Order: sequence, then structure tokens, then C-alpha cells
Amino acid sequence: MKGTYLAWVGKAWLGLILFFLYAPIIVMAFMSFNASQYYQLPFEFSLTWYEKLGQNTEILNAATRSVLIALTTTVIATTLGTAASLALFRFEFRGKRFLQVMLFPPIAIPWLITGTAMLIFFYGVGLGRGTPSVLIGHVALALPYVIVVVSARLATFDVTLEEAARSMGADSWTVTRRVTLPWIASGIIAGALFAFAVSFDQFVVSYFLSEPGDSTLPVLIYTSIRKGFTPEINAISTIIIVISMAVMLFAARFSNFGGER
Amino acid sequence: MSTVLARQDRLKIASLLSPAYIWLTVAIFLPLSAMLYFSFLSDVPFGDAEWRYTTDNYQAFFQTSTYATLLWKSIKLGLTVTAVSVLVGFPCAYVLAKVIKGKSREALFLLVILPFWSNSLVRIFSWAIVLRGNGVLDLGLNAILPFEVDVNLMFSTPAIVIGLVHSYLPYVILTSYLALQAIDDSLIDAARSMGANKLTILWRLILPLSLPGLLAGAVLIFVPVVGSFMEPRILGGRVGTYFGTVIEDQFVAVFNWPLGAALSFILLAVVLLILATASPVLRRAQA
Amino acid sequence: MAEVSVQNVTKSFGSLKALNDVTMDFPNGGFFALLGPSGSGKTTLLRTIAGFIFADSGSIYIGDQSVENIPVEKRDIGMMFQNYALFPNMTVADNVGFGLRVRKVGAAEERRRVGEALELVQLGQLGDRKPHQLSGGQRQRVALARAIVTNPKVLLLDEPLSALDKSLRVDMQIELKRIQREIGITTIFVTHDQEEALTLSDKIGILRQGAMIQAGPPREVYNNPVDIFTAEFLGEANILTAQGGTALSSARADIKLPSGATEQSTLAVRPENMSISTSEPGGDAISKIPATLVRRIFAGAMATCVLENGGNTFKVIARDQDIPDLPEGGEIWLSWKPEHTMVVPNP
Repeated sequence: MKGTYLAWVGKAWLGLILFFLYAPIIVMAFMSFNASQYYQLPFEFSLTWYEKLGQNTEILNAATRSVLIALTTTVIATTLGTAASLALFRFEFRGKRFLQVMLFPPIAIPWLITGTAMLIFFYGVGLGRGTPSVLIGHVALALPYVIVVVSARLATFDVTLEEAARSMGADSWTVTRRVTLPWIASGIIAGALFAFAVSFDQFVVSYFLSEPGDSTLPVLIYTSIRKGFTPEINAISTIIIVISMAVMLFAARFSNFGGER
Repeated sequence: MSTVLARQDRLKIASLLSPAYIWLTVAIFLPLSAMLYFSFLSDVPFGDAEWRYTTDNYQAFFQTSTYATLLWKSIKLGLTVTAVSVLVGFPCAYVLAKVIKGKSREALFLLVILPFWSNSLVRIFSWAIVLRGNGVLDLGLNAILPFEVDVNLMFSTPAIVIGLVHSYLPYVILTSYLALQAIDDSLIDAARSMGANKLTILWRLILPLSLPGLLAGAVLIFVPVVGSFMEPRILGGRVGTYFGTVIEDQFVAVFNWPLGAALSFILLAVVLLILATASPVLRRAQA
Repeated sequence: MAEVSVQNVTKSFGSLKALNDVTMDFPNGGFFALLGPSGSGKTTLLRTIAGFIFADSGSIYIGDQSVENIPVEKRDIGMMFQNYALFPNMTVADNVGFGLRVRKVGAAEERRRVGEALELVQLGQLGDRKPHQLSGGQRQRVALARAIVTNPKVLLLDEPLSALDKSLRVDMQIELKRIQREIGITTIFVTHDQEEALTLSDKIGILRQGAMIQAGPPREVYNNPVDIFTAEFLGEANILTAQGGTALSSARADIKLPSGATEQSTLAVRPENMSISTSEPGGDAISKIPATLVRRIFAGAMATCVLENGGNTFKVIARDQDIPDLPEGGEIWLSWKPEHTMVVPNP
């Protein structure tokens, strides 16, 4: 039948796209186990680059710094974002629409523009480059994502639950803590994962704001690539990809991302 | 809607909202204002540098054709990457949303958006390994093909396009998939019962109904690609000079911040123009 | 317009037999109901007639054309969906005109026929609206206009009234019947509502577990159900069985067996055909059982009484004023005319 033939073509196309999406990543992972420094084939298995990575304090320090910045960003952005979402959800007030629209510039404006603007401003106020500036920037980029994700979850919240709790004598803080927060917990976790991902993958803003010699992992990778390929970058990249995909798979169970439930 | 709020409520709203919005103001809106201010200065107002107000930075854009040419080159790159991503990604999203059923759909969908969560730099870097002369693509093709080919896509425009499409393709698949999934299958059944063939259904029903999702994906791709500088640098080499790389240079190499600020604002104007053009369709989707 | 004929159609989904050797005729111009509980295969049968599903074996005729290998878009049918399936991106007029545009009838012709169809469903003024601006009843009418505007050979309706509330549903039943009579189109509709099937159709096909267990005019299937399932599905029935029922063997009961029935037959009586009296009804030409009144449920003009005899429960539906005033637990007599005793063949 014609229908099944077209369906077959469609599935083949999907398969081809999956190949396109994964091939370079797999190649890179493969190369991180290849002995040759210049990616020469034939392939010769070796753990050299992982060993070298273990001794490369510059990369390891950058990786640690990236993780710490991402964790700090996650905590701050999730806390502030959840508080703001609760206020936007629970109250009607003038200017609310404006506050919601204000969330879009950080998402919609290219990071190149936001990053250079931050650089100018932080220099202007005397803060300059460095980890504090990077952190301020990351939190600002992650905040809108947290607010959007948590608000989406709050939208599914049945307000009568709060009213029921209040009718049983609970004060508003108790209601928030015992009724509202448990309901939106999955939204908060999803928001936190977004925040972590935005910060940990963030290159552009970090690039303009971090001190040379005190940079995050993506910035270090960028400068290494421009100086010339080093296979240790393959090794650390492979590790990053494995970890972030594992985190994402874990997250998929919480956020029902793209699911129809 | 209550227009008069209790004092207590106003206090609560303020204490919940102000931390987040003060942070956004300090880190996004004040910097953007500062950049606008800088773009009208002749030099950075730090230390003992001499400076005055001027429109020279904006005039520079119009005086030589270099900047305009590069901006146009960036816009063309954005259009190319967006078009390729839409043409490649929409059929994918359609297959996922309407052809594949049951559990395997969720798994495949996850598989499609998973690479998206890995570091973009790392992905661009892995393309460099694949595309360069004597690289994986070169060796792979020569192993399969009976004749000798010399594939060295590295440091070319196609390399930049491939890398960017790889980076941003999941956006358009994601948004199109969500839009397509929302189309009730009975609408397609109804069109068929009235005698419509597949092409008519695609053209009159599926495309109009999924247009907002498709457009949202396109905007999400176009905006960052016009401002991209890292991908052209790594994959483009000498041909990788774009509007984004010129702005980057002003801040990290040439240290002409006022000019960089002006160029950034011109880029921002282009982006806002694109968003304003797309927003009526996107807003219609919410109604 | 054409007659439709389904012959020995079988369809399996994996190990599930959705349709099992189904045969039914739908003569030209009639109004037919496919009735059954969910999972009975009624929707599968409708979608097989429509051409969304191809049968594994058997044949389907629309008019004198055999359509087994013709997909839905070539079958020239009109179909109305449970959720109406109106295209949200098009106006009412564009929705109705969709099938005409596909057939390339030309703009003027399209406008004329869309106008006529909207007039027919009494929505002449609403052509420029979008579906989301219409009420449930109006959407339903648009869906109907859209299904008939192309003058299809057959009109298929998939639970067309189930999304409406009760009063609107009754109005739409009358309306649907009027329009169907007016254009005289062969109409097949799927429903799980037995009352709707009995009210609207000229012929009912009852399905269970993929099999057509009975087909016939409403009165016939109601009065002569082929088995207990059908008897109970089409309305309430008091079952009197020789094997389990003490009612038949009760000393004072007197049940006149219809011709063809034996002591072993299963008998059934509709609740509305039974009446209640305080004293034993006289005369030989009547069937009767003594019983205890368990509960009397008042429902306006009518009342339902629940009665009990030797562990069997009976239901009687009667005009409230015809039921004698009795305390619950009181002794009464149940009686009915012998012609109201239905013999239900044992499976």
C-alpha cells in the first residue's frame, strides 16, 4: 500500500537525521580513545588522553569551576525564580503583564549582545571580569527559564486545593509549604535542571566575562581549539557528553518533557 | 480582578518578585542601557582617556560597505541555516508526531533532543574532526566509494552551515513536534472523508495548523545564528568572518568598545525587527 | 445516494478480532444504527465502510461498486465525527466548502452549495465565523452541513450526539431525522445509546465482541431479542428462567408459555409491560406472579417499583397513579398479557 511506503520513507528519514545528530559525537568519543595525537587512522586503542587529562590541572580546575558556578547558579536562580512564579501565579496586580514580557529579552536577545553589554556595564561599575561577574550573568540567563518552567507547572495547579487547606485552618505559609510546593516540586526540579544546563553549557557570556587563566571549561575548550586541537579536549568532552546525557535522561523522568501526559 | 490590594498583599508581592527582577535589571537591562550609552561615545570613559558624545560609531557602519556586507552575510547565514533546519526537521517532527505510535515515539523523541543538551562547543569541535581534510568523512567516503575523492570541507561555508544546523536542528524539531502533536487525528480523517489527498491535507490543514510551532522554531534558530561567532571561527577559519566575529573582535582584540556597542545595537535592531514580524503569527497561536 | 452492503467482513488487529464475519444490508435512503457497548466493533465497522480501515476479508458495496480496495478519499462518502473535527483554521463557510474545493467545482458553485447546506442546517448567517466562536449545537450543524454538501453516496455518523447535553440532544435527534428525510440520503450512525438507536433508525444492527448478533427494525429487535444480552442491552428486561428462576416453579405463579416455548426456555418481560395489583388478577388469559414490594421510586409521571420473589428481583415501570398505595414490604401481584412474554433463545 502507498501509505505504508510513505511511512517507511519517513522512518528512514528520521533514522538518517539521528545518524547526522549522533555521528560527530560518536566520532569524537571514538577519537578520545585513539592513540594518535593528530587523529590519524587506523584506530589504535589507548587511554593516553584520559591519563593526560588526569594530570592537566588547567582543564580540571576549569571543570571544577564550571560545576561550582553551575551549582551556585542553580540554587540562586531556582529560589528567586520559584518565588517570582508564585507571586505571578497567585496575585493579580497592575504591571503583571509587563513583568511577564520582561522575561523574554534574556532568552530572545543573542547572547553575544547580552554578553558584551554585561562586560561594558560590569567594567563601568568597577566589577570588571571574573567569577562574580560570570555568576551574575549566568543567574540572569537562567532565571527566565526557571520562571517559565515553574509557571507552566503552576498553571496546572488547582486553586481549590489551597482554598480547601485554608478552610481547614492552615495559614498561608503552611498552605504554600504543605500544599503548593509539593505540587510544583516536579516543575521546580525541571527548572533547576534547565538552570544547571544553561549555566554549565554557557559559553558566550562566560567568554566575555571570565578572567583569562580563570576561565570556565567551555571558554578553555574554545581557546584550546583555536590554539590547536589537543586530544585531552576530546577526553573531557566525551566525559561531559556522557554526564549531561545521563542527567537529561534522569530529568526526562521528572519533567515529562514533550510527553502527552 | 481586584484593583485595590491589601497592604499586606502588596508587601508579599514585592518581597517575592523583587529579588528576581532586581537581578534581571542589574544583569540584563542596565547593561543594555549602558551599551546604548557607550555606543554614542568616542572612547571608553575609563582611566584618563579623552571622550565625547558622537554618532561616529553608527556612521562607521554606513561609511564603508564592509559592515553592511558582513551583516548581510550573517543574515544570509541565518536564513540558510534556518531554511535547512526547517526543511530537514519538519518532516522528522511529522514522522515522530503522526507516523510513529506508542512507546517508541517517546524514546525516539528523547533521542532526537538529547544531543541538544550536550555542550554546543563540544559538538562544533567534533564536526571539526569529521570534516577536516584527511578526517573521518574523507577517509570514510574513500573507504566506501570506488573512486578517489578529496573531501576537505573544513574552513568553508558548508562546514559552518553543517555545524550550525547540527546545533540548532533540535529546536525546530521540538517546536514543530509539539504543534503537530496538538493536531487532532480526526481532523485528518475528516479531510480524507471529504476526498482530500495527502498533498491537500498537508497544504491546507497540517501546515497552517503547525505554522506557529514551525515559526517559533525558525525564530529560535535565526536569532542566535545571526549573532554567532564561535561556530564560524572554529569551522570557517579565514572564510568565517561574520558580523558576530567583528563584534567579538571589538571587545577582545581591537578593544574598540564603543564601535562594538554600536554594532551590537544594529544587530539587536535586526533581531527585534524579525521578532516583531513573527509575533502576530505566534500570538495568534495562543488565542 | 446508494444502498450499502457489508458481506462477511472480518478484521483483526493483532490477536484481537475486531470484526468477525459481519454481514448487514443498508437499503437506499434508510436511517440505520450500529449499536453496541464500547469495544463491540461498531466504530470499526463504520470506519471500514468509510475506508479508513481495510477489511481482512469479506466485501463491501456502496451502490453497485465494490469498494474494498478504494481508500476513503475516493469513496465519495460524508462523515461526521464524534468531536465534529471542524478545521480550526478555517471559517464555517470554508469548512463546509472544503470537500467542494477538493472536487474543484468552481467558486460560484461552491458559494451557492455552501449557502444551501448552511440554510438546510439553519446556520445561514454564520458562514464567516470561526469554529471556536460557535456553540456545541452550532458546531454539530456545521459538521453535518460539511458532511452532506458534496452529495455523498452515504452519510456516516460516529456517535454524533454524544457530546451534547440531554435536552439539546433530543432537539438534534429530531433535526437530524428531518434533514435525513429531506435529502433522502442513506445514513449509518454509530451509537452506544439504545434509546437514540430506537428513536432514530429504520433498522438497528447490534454488535457484540466484533459479531453482528441481531439486525432488524427497532420494534422487532426490541420485542424479539435473540438473546439475554440483546434483551437487556435494548432496555430493561425481567428474565424468567426455568433453571434458576423460582418464579416459574412458584406454586401460585401462573405463566402462560408462548407457542414454541418449553419449560426450559428463557423468558423475558419488559418492565413497562407488567402491572401491579393488590389482589390476585382474575381470568385465565393472563400471566401472574405473587411478589413483595421492595422499593418504590418516584420519578414524576412515571414510577419504578422493585419487587422480589424467591430471590429474584423484578422491575416494573408504570404511571405513578396506576400503582396502588402500598407500604414497602407489602404483598402484591405482578401480571402481564401473555403476548408480552418474550422467548429468548438460549445461546
